[in-house]
Parts: sequence; C-alpha cells; structure tokens
Amino acid sequence: MPDSSASPMPRLVAAGITKRFPGVLALDSVDFTIRAGQVHALVGENGAGKSTLLKIVAGADRPDAGTLAVDGKPVSFAAPRDALRLGLTVIYQELSLVPALGADANIFLGMEPARRGLLDRRAAALRAADALRALGATFDPATPARDLSVAEQQLVELARALARDARLIALDEPTAALSHLETERLFTQIRRLCDRGIGVVFVSHRLEEVRRIADEITVLRDGRRVFHGPAAAVDDAALIRHMVGRDIEYARIPPVSPVPGPAVLEARGLTRHRAFTDVSLVLRRGEIVGLAGLVGAGRTEVARCIAGADSLDAGSMVLSGAPYRPASPREAIGRRVVYLPEDRKTQGLVLGLNVRENVTLPTLERFSRWGVVHGERERAAAAREVAAVELRPPDIEREAGTLSGGNQQKVVLAKWLLADADVFLFDEPTRGVDIATKSELHRVIRSLADAGKAVLIISSELPEILALADRVVVMREGSVSGELTAAEATAERVLALALPASHAA
Amino acid sequence: MKTRATARFGVPLALAGIVVVAGVFIPGFMSRANLTTILLHVSINGILALGSIFVIITAGIDLSVGSVVGLAGVLAAMALTSGTVLHVFGPAGAAVVAALVGIGAGALVGLVNGGIVARLGVAPFIVTLAMMTAARGAARLVTGGVPIGFPDPGDPLYDRKIAALDALHAVGGGRIPVPGLPTGFPVPALVMLALVALGGFVLTRTRFGRYVYAVGGNEEASRLSGVSVGWVKLGVYAIAGASAGLAAVLLVGQLRSGGPDAGMLYELNAIAAAVIGGTSLFGGIGTAWGALTGALLIGVLNNGLDLLGVQSFWQEIAKGIIILLAVLFDVWMKRLDARRWRERGAGEGSGAVAS
Repeated sequence: MPDSSASPMPRLVAAGITKRFPGVLALDSVDFTIRAGQVHALVGENGAGKSTLLKIVAGADRPDAGTLAVDGKPVSFAAPRDALRLGLTVIYQELSLVPALGADANIFLGMEPARRGLLDRRAAALRAADALRALGATFDPATPARDLSVAEQQLVELARALARDARLIALDEPTAALSHLETERLFTQIRRLCDRGIGVVFVSHRLEEVRRIADEITVLRDGRRVFHGPAAAVDDAALIRHMVGRDIEYARIPPVSPVPGPAVLEARGLTRHRAFTDVSLVLRRGEIVGLAGLVGAGRTEVARCIAGADSLDAGSMVLSGAPYRPASPREAIGRRVVYLPEDRKTQGLVLGLNVRENVTLPTLERFSRWGVVHGERERAAAAREVAAVELRPPDIEREAGTLSGGNQQKVVLAKWLLADADVFLFDEPTRGVDIATKSELHRVIRSLADAGKAVLIISSELPEILALADRVVVMREGSVSGELTAAEATAERVLALALPASHAA
Repeated sequence: MKTRATARFGVPLALAGIVVVAGVFIPGFMSRANLTTILLHVSINGILALGSIFVIITAGIDLSVGSVVGLAGVLAAMALTSGTVLHVFGPAGAAVVAALVGIGAGALVGLVNGGIVARLGVAPFIVTLAMMTAARGAARLVTGGVPIGFPDPGDPLYDRKIAALDALHAVGGGRIPVPGLPTGFPVPALVMLALVALGGFVLTRTRFGRYVYAVGGNEEASRLSGVSVGWVKLGVYAIAGASAGLAAVLLVGQLRSGGPDAGMLYELNAIAAAVIGGTSLFGGIGTAWGALTGALLIGVLNNGLDLLGVQSFWQEIAKGIIILLAVLFDVWMKRLDARRWRERGAGEGSGAVAS
C-alpha cells in the first residue's frame, strides 16, 4: 500500500501476518503499520490475537506467513535479541524486571557498560539516573525493582528501551494497573517518545484512553483485522461493534424448565484483597449463570474462593440453607461444590497419572476399604463417567498428559461428575478446545443444569456466555458491574459492562 | 508408567548385563554364597532407598536419613543395654524394645521433617539438611561421641547385655537356614525384600500411594481435587524416617553396637539408588521395584569390582558414571518420545492461545 505523502514514514510494516497454533488460527493475514512519531492502538477482546501480534513484533514468536519490514528493509527474527537490535521493544503487562536488582542495574541488564570486563557501576548509575530523570522519575535509581510501584517500573522499562535506542515501543495494557494521575503522566511520556520519532503501539481495553492517545486504531477479532483507521473517525460504540462482531456463534441451548429452582448458593459481599470487592451472587438449581468480564476482572478469583481454593477476607455464603465458608477445596468438595480450573494442565489434572486415577482422585475413599483401593469398582466407576462425557477413545488407562485439550477437559468433567456435586464452577471450560468438542461440552454443561445442578460458567468468549447462560453477571475490575437476563444479554451490552471505565479527566 | 524409561528396561537390562558379564569373567561371582553376600550388603541401602522414594515421588527430598540411622541406632543400642529395660523385659524383650525405639525415633524425626515441610512450607532440601546436622549432633550428644553397645568386662550386667546384643544380632546378622545355601539366607536381605513388596503394595494398591503420586505429579491439582496434601507429606517423611530407623536397628544388630557416626552419607547412596532405579527428582515418578534394582545395581557393581581387586576409589567413580548414564538415558528416551509425539501431530500440548 503506497503511503500518502502526508503520513510520516512507516517504522514497521507487518503484512499478511499469519500464525497458527494447534487448533487455533491466532492471526489470519493481518496487516499492521506503525509510523514514526505516532501512536497506533491495538484493540480487541481477549483472544483476538493482540498478544500474538506483539510477540511476533518482538521476535518472541515467528509468523507462519507474512513479512516484516523495519524502515523499509525486510527483516526476520530468530530471537527477541534480533528485534531488540533493530530497536523494537515490547513492554509486556507482566513487567520483566529482575526484582532484586536496582532500577539502574535493570536498565542496563544485558548491556552493562564495562571496562576490561569489569562492570563500570558508576557509569551505569549515572547514565541510568539521567535516563530516568528525563522520563520524569523522582525515585532513587538504586531502588530495587520490587520496591517500585507499577508506574515506576514502567518508567524503568521505558528507560531501558531508550537506553537501547528503541525506535518502536509497544506497550501491552500499560494503564491496567495505573491510577488516573499515573496514566496522565504515562501519556505525557508517550507523547515525548513520539516527539523523538519513536513509533508507539498502545494495547488497551480502555476505549476512551485509546481514542485520546492514539493516532490510528486497529481492531482485531478472532485473529483478523476487522477495522483500521484514524482514531478521530470512530466512537466507543463503533469500536465495540467491531470488537464483538458476529463471527462465532453457538446455537443457544435453552433449559428444559424455563423457571429456575430454589437458590443453592447465596454469596453476599465477597471480598478478597487485591482481587475483588463486594461481590454478591446467587446460584440456583437448574440455572446456568455466566460470569463475564475481561481477563483480570476477578472472575477466577471469585470462583476459587467459592471452591475453597483461596480464602476470603470478607463476605458470607449460604449453601443449601447452611452457612458455608470452606477452608480448603476438600471441605468444599465435601459440601458438594466443585471447581473446574481454567488451566487443565497445571491445576485440573495430574498429567502423569492415567485417566482412571485422575477421575477417581477426589472420590477414592468410596472405592477403598482400610485404605486399599478396590480396583474393579474403581475401574467400573471411571469407565462409566468417561462414557458419560464421551471421551474418545474411552481408554481409562491412558496417561492424561497424552490426551488432546478437549479430551483432557472431558476427563476433568468426568472426575467431578463422579463426585456427585450440587454446584459446578466452570472456569473457561472450552479454552483451547476444538469447535466440535466445544458443542459437546456445552451440551454436557446444559444437561447438568437440567439435572438440577447449579452451574456457574466463566468464559472470555462472549458467544459462549450468550449461548449457555440463563443469567449473566458481569465483572469489571474486581466488582460486579451489572447483571443481565438471557433476554437482555447481547454481546454489546455485556462488553460495555465489562470494559473498564476510562480515567477520563 | 510410573517409572522413568530407564527403570522400565534400562536398569534391569544393565543389571542383567553386569551379572552375566561378571558371572562369566569373575570367578566366584556366581557362587550362591557371593550372591547372598551381595543381597546382605545391599539390604541397608535398599531399605533406605525404599523409604526415600516415597519422599522423592512427592517431589521432596530427605537428606537426613543417614543421620537418622546414626541417631536411631544409638537410641536403640541404649535401650537394648539399659539396665531397666533388661530388668523388665529380659534380653529378648529388650531386643524388641530396642527395635521399637529405633523405628519410633526414626519415624518421629520424619514427622518433624514432614511437619515443617507441610505446615511451614519450607523447602524439603533445607528442612532435611538442617535435620541431617541436628540429628547427627543429637546422636553424638547422647553418646558423648563413643559407640554404645559392647559392655565392659566388669559390668555387673555383662551377661544380660551380651544376651540382649546376641538377641538383636539374630535379626541384624542372622541367617535363615535354606537347603542348598551353606551359609543360609541373611535376615536383613529378607527384611528388605519383604519391605519392597510391602512398599510396592502401598504405592500401587492403596489410597495413600495414589495420593503420593498425585501430589508429586501436580500438587495444586491434587489439592483442588480434595487431597490433603499436608497429611500425605507428613506420611512420606515419616515413612522415610521409620525406614531409616529400621535400617539402624538392623545395623546395630549386625555390629552389636550403635555408633553416633553410623550411616554417614547413606542418604546420598539411597538417593543414588532411587535415581538409578528410575525415580524422578521432579516427582510423580518412581517405583519400589526401581529402588530395589537401583540398589542392586550399585551393589553388584561394587561386588564385582571388589572381586576383581579394583580399588574402592575407582568404585566411587564408576558409581558416579552410572548415575549420570541412568539419567542421560532417560533424557534421551524422553526426547525420542517427544519427537514421536510431534510427528504423530498430537500437538495440542502447547495449548497456546492468543492475547
């Protein structure tokens, strides 16, 4: 695409970038151009492909197809080092400073000024102090990184990028953890970077901020670029429309009985410091409640507390008419509340054990006498539950680690079906699962509700929430921001409730 | 499935290979007397390795078992030769009491280890390193640094103490007459084999054993599945401690004395046997049978080199090489396995999802 003479020179041109992960097309022929001295915002829902694109720019991932050109010259990166050498820096949301090292040492990490192989610590400290002061930092450059606030750590990262002569800096959700004032300061610094001719990529969920700081906006959805244009040309509503789109849709599976049963679990004012505040919700028999929100809104943390995996700081719960405050998952399971974690591999399954051993892990007492496991009864029970979730092949002696993602999730499900729970808390039950298995899992989840269970489902995939939930509770930054009935819930309304309020001045 | 590739075929094969080669080239190796000697020499390490694998399968480590052998040994020896115990229980009874004291002391130390690891969350390496030092110090403290056991000729209880030592020796150094074995079968070896069978049963057939693998394979997933991780850890350290206590009792019986410096560096031999036998230090993987084969491999190698008149220094070097080979072989097998997976296209492993 030829540049119009008015636009500044493109710093980085990514053309036709495609990246495939097993079962997922993360990026589908995406074009992305960053111009010198301008801010280009990258917007999209969780899983839209923003992080993957940043990783490719940073040289941390290699595209399966497409080209990158820096200042007009085609490049290809074998490692992040190559991208750094060309002045491309990505500052990730999880900042990557060494906690025990001082800010100055962090700035020069990997490129320490040295004289005859010895560190020149004085020179490093002086240059670091200059760089930090230039960014408006007021803290002692020797302060260990772990003692700095998030905003201060960001400045250290910026100083590090500048010390490396960065020509492009990408910021992944830089304002997520910042106060209003800190955000304003960061914006000032971003404008200064632009004045120096640096191209800036700004990834954020805060649409108002995006429109304020960005010159151009690109919206990604399901790995495709669905919108690209000058920031001045769009409003929030238009951006949200682009973000949610209508690409993936699941057939809605309605409940057998339109009227939900009595409340099974009532939670009031649940609070866990630094995670969520004053969350109240009710789970009823036969009803699926969708817990929607962005990653980091506190949904997982709420579910983990209800399941006894983490402790609450405040709030109360009533389960089947009796007070409920589990001190451990064991206690929660004893009260028939089970949690199916987001990350199957690290939390849901013991990958080294086989399917049978995983399925019976919480219920092994039932199949043992005097501590000795009754193999025949255990096998029969495992085989029955595995058949119920349609594991294919239904081999209960296969090691869990060798199964596909969808099959692993079915094993987790079989485990909790066997536990005969009343309350099921699903955290991203279909992440990384192929479409066919997804619908199977959806059917199983619905049949649980129809069998009188209370179901909570956390999903970052809006269509999934809309297809399954009879009621949608939306969380935003640790609190409940709204509740919608199935009839009221549309992708736009849910997303509008989920997106964080801007720090508008 | 719960053994590393090495242990499934590598170690038994290596063991068989060494036995055949040694049998052909070393005169006297294949004699029944020598084979039983090997079993006897292996038995203490085998018992310690068996106890250690419980801990290692939970992704822990117990560095204190050698010191526990020392401490439990002197306590057992003190009980065995105590005037009060001899008076109340008689020499044979004293042997029983001594055995209980030794095993109990070991289990108690293990419970302390496990309690600190489970409740306070301190790294097992640190906890048991501290215990290794402390238990050794305690053993020297209670004995004043000298071995306990053989009485002075002028001791008024001389005869009874000798009788008690003899009673325990019947276990620690005893032989069970077996037709065709002129020297009989050593009791400690029998104890080891029985314990391996018991340990294998506990690991594969009981709920506790299942939890041991689960906790070692994925502690968080186990906790979320309602497994009482703390109790499991307490249990495995207690087992390691009790095994060390039992080994100490056998050693006291064998030597007719309990020395505060007994069992020095035994923990490393036990860990070596476990690793050679296919136990993964990362947890979740290992078997009782593997612990036995690992200990046997070390024992056979030592014995063969002994018979050849090779210096013990060389034996140490050989053992080091074997440990390395066992683990390297495993790494290679895993890489081969991984490649096979990738080629089959079962790549869902990465599970990477954007943004």
